[in-house]
Amino acid sequence: MTIGDSLALFLHDLQAHSPLSADDRQAILDLPMRLRRLDAGTYLVREGDVPTHCCILISGFAYRQKLTGQGSRQIIAVCIPGDAIDFQNMFLDISDHAVQTLTGTVVADIPRAALQALVLSRPAIGAAVMRSTLIEASIVREWVVNVGRRDARTRIAHILCEFAARLEARGLASEDSFELPMTQEQLADATSLTPVHVNRVLRGLEAEGLISRQRRNVRFADWRALQDVADFSRRYLHLPGEDELEVAAI
Amino acid sequence: MSEHHHLEPLARRWSKYSSKFTPADRDAVLALPYERKTFGKDAYLVREGERATVCMMLLRGFAFRQKLMSDGDRQIISFHIPTEFVDLQNGLLGVADHNVQSLNHSEVAVIPRTALMELAEERPSIRLAMWVDTLIDASIFREWVVNVGRRDSRARIAHLLCELAVRLERIGAGRAGTFDFPLTQEQLADATGLTAVHTNRTLQSLRRDGLIQLTNGILRVLDWDGLREVGDFDELYLHHKV
Repeated sequence: MTIGDSLALFLHDLQAHSPLSADDRQAILDLPMRLRRLDAGTYLVREGDVPTHCCILISGFAYRQKLTGQGSRQIIAVCIPGDAIDFQNMFLDISDHAVQTLTGTVVADIPRAALQALVLSRPAIGAAVMRSTLIEASIVREWVVNVGRRDARTRIAHILCEFAARLEARGLASEDSFELPMTQEQLADATSLTPVHVNRVLRGLEAEGLISRQRRNVRFADWRALQDVADFSRRYLHLPGEDELEVAAI
Repeated sequence: MSEHHHLEPLARRWSKYSSKFTPADRDAVLALPYERKTFGKDAYLVREGERATVCMMLLRGFAFRQKLMSDGDRQIISFHIPTEFVDLQNGLLGVADHNVQSLNHSEVAVIPRTALMELAEERPSIRLAMWVDTLIDASIFREWVVNVGRRDSRARIAHLLCELAVRLERIGAGRAGTFDFPLTQEQLADATGLTAVHTNRTLQSLRRDGLIQLTNGILRVLDWDGLREVGDFDELYLHHKV
């Protein structure tokens, strides 16, 4: 796999919201980087780390998490292929959370200094990468709402809808089905529920004919109805075209 | 430029983010066009779905970001204090994905979005500074997911009080553990995912334990270490050492 192939999803995602010149694209491909293959459960970043590298998820899934003083875990985001894992550490000197792989993954490590120099010397790349980190922050805001004010069924439905919409935007979900590489325990940590509760809700959604599951594969039997259950609106994902459509409709 | 220039605190904060921030960068920040605007309690500064034409920095008073559920429930996602932007991300994202409301009587500096974006494009140190501001916002949102998601009610409220106290102290708005604290119990509840009744009970228990005093819009932290411990509070995520 060439560097260009590896970064195809990352570049595609950047350019979906921030078109780049051929020159800027090449500058990204010319970054010094090293590909690493990792097993599920590997720490990519630990809370308190002083970062020397930032990485891009080439394939596989990862999640951000924080532990409370009592040792409870809260998952704060799920990273999908093409996501920057820790670009916030480009300018923050200490990592405020941990990132762990959910599945076997391939990541591209980029020296932090090279990345800093690139985004500061090329305004278009700077704006593109910053926009990505802002979208990431928007998703975190939505998660505050999800765990703060939605009931268990809505929470789970919401996280499924979000995952599907994001994968679809990257071309990683087929029509109405996708792979959800999370255990019920991990889903519980992402929605601040217990695994037992998650299991009950998933079975309920299945019984209602909204989703069907086969191993890790989730199928949306009734996508529109699930979005209603989830109180789901895509606005916060700032997907390409959506903002413009919305403004045109006003 | 005089010490009383409204954007002076912004230039000062941004200058701390990078050793490459020059006096010319500072002058460029102070030369930004802006208009002062006041808002009454609960007035909307930004509405979800709006296309951004300006970015707003608080000069006086408090503001908060919130999202509304379809059933009308509200979740507050952050509080903002003077010198902070309430919507800097909209400069680049273009469309607001949440609402911003004035918490009490507030005054903001309204800066045209294009002026701010042009400055960021021309000046790498300012680009970096704006980025760091939004990255710190994002870190605080992450901590809020944890707070609302995995802490009990007492810890949630204590954590929020610690966070606001540390941020207020940082801008020089608190003295000897005493802070202006205009938040209502309903707003505290909406920020912590609790009910107003539960919030009230929790505040009383923190008071009974001699950790805080909260009367007439004034918060006094009586036992810092105790409040931090109850709140499971570690200020690393505020990135004050950036």
